[in-house]
Amino acid sequence: MEQQEVTNRPQKPDNHLVWAILCTVLCCLPLGIVSIIKSTKVNELYEQGDYAGAQKSADEAKKWAIWGAVITGAFLVLYIILMAIGVAGGLMSGGGY
Amino acid sequence: MALCQVVDIKKTGKFLTIITFIGIAIIVFFQYNPNESSFFIPCPFHFITGLHCPGCGSQRALHQLVHFNIFGAFRYNPLLVLSLPILIYSVGITLYNFVNQTKYRVSFFYNNTFIYVYFGIVVAFWILRNIPIEPFSCLAPTTL
Repeated sequence: MEQQEVTNRPQKPDNHLVWAILCTVLCCLPLGIVSIIKSTKVNELYEQGDYAGAQKSADEAKKWAIWGAVITGAFLVLYIILMAIGVAGGLMSGGGY
Repeated sequence: MALCQVVDIKKTGKFLTIITFIGIAIIVFFQYNPNESSFFIPCPFHFITGLHCPGCGSQRALHQLVHFNIFGAFRYNPLLVLSLPILIYSVGITLYNFVNQTKYRVSFFYNNTFIYVYFGIVVAFWILRNIPIEPFSCLAPTTL
């Protein structure tokens, strides 16, 4: 009977913890930590039977991890532009740096 | 038959893409020392606040790791080195799923105790490595 009940439950949504941890240790942004907490919500809500809520938390966990990566990416682009300007400025003012 | 071949070509393509990206990353981190080259990005959090985040030092740690200097890597970012077995395992599964269109899960990632313990370690590490007193300052990125 219990087996029946288990098979009737929808599949547990992916909690994207891999990306949360990667974001935390590599992306250098605290947004990965938010993503980790969202991942715990997925399990909790799923156990409580709130499957829609679990799915929503899973999506949010993914969103935060992606935002962490996007902000780091944006920072990278900005940094490269600033560095290019700096290097160009250095060259124009005559001589390397 | 034809479909089978198409799928196989797709698989091989994905596999080669992954290998190429990992290969490039390893070569870049092997060739250049983030301590000496200026094109590595600083951590945005460190750049803005001057504090160390849990990920600070991980690029320098990766440089040490691809040179098999685990102790040096540990001094830059112990969290990264300790997470490495978990990361290799889980990223490996994720990439395997991506290539083969399977849906394997990392079982302990769905255990909330594991997540809370990991979260606790990250937060504790974050706070402790910013305390500028002797035993804790070891946790900040340190050059040997």
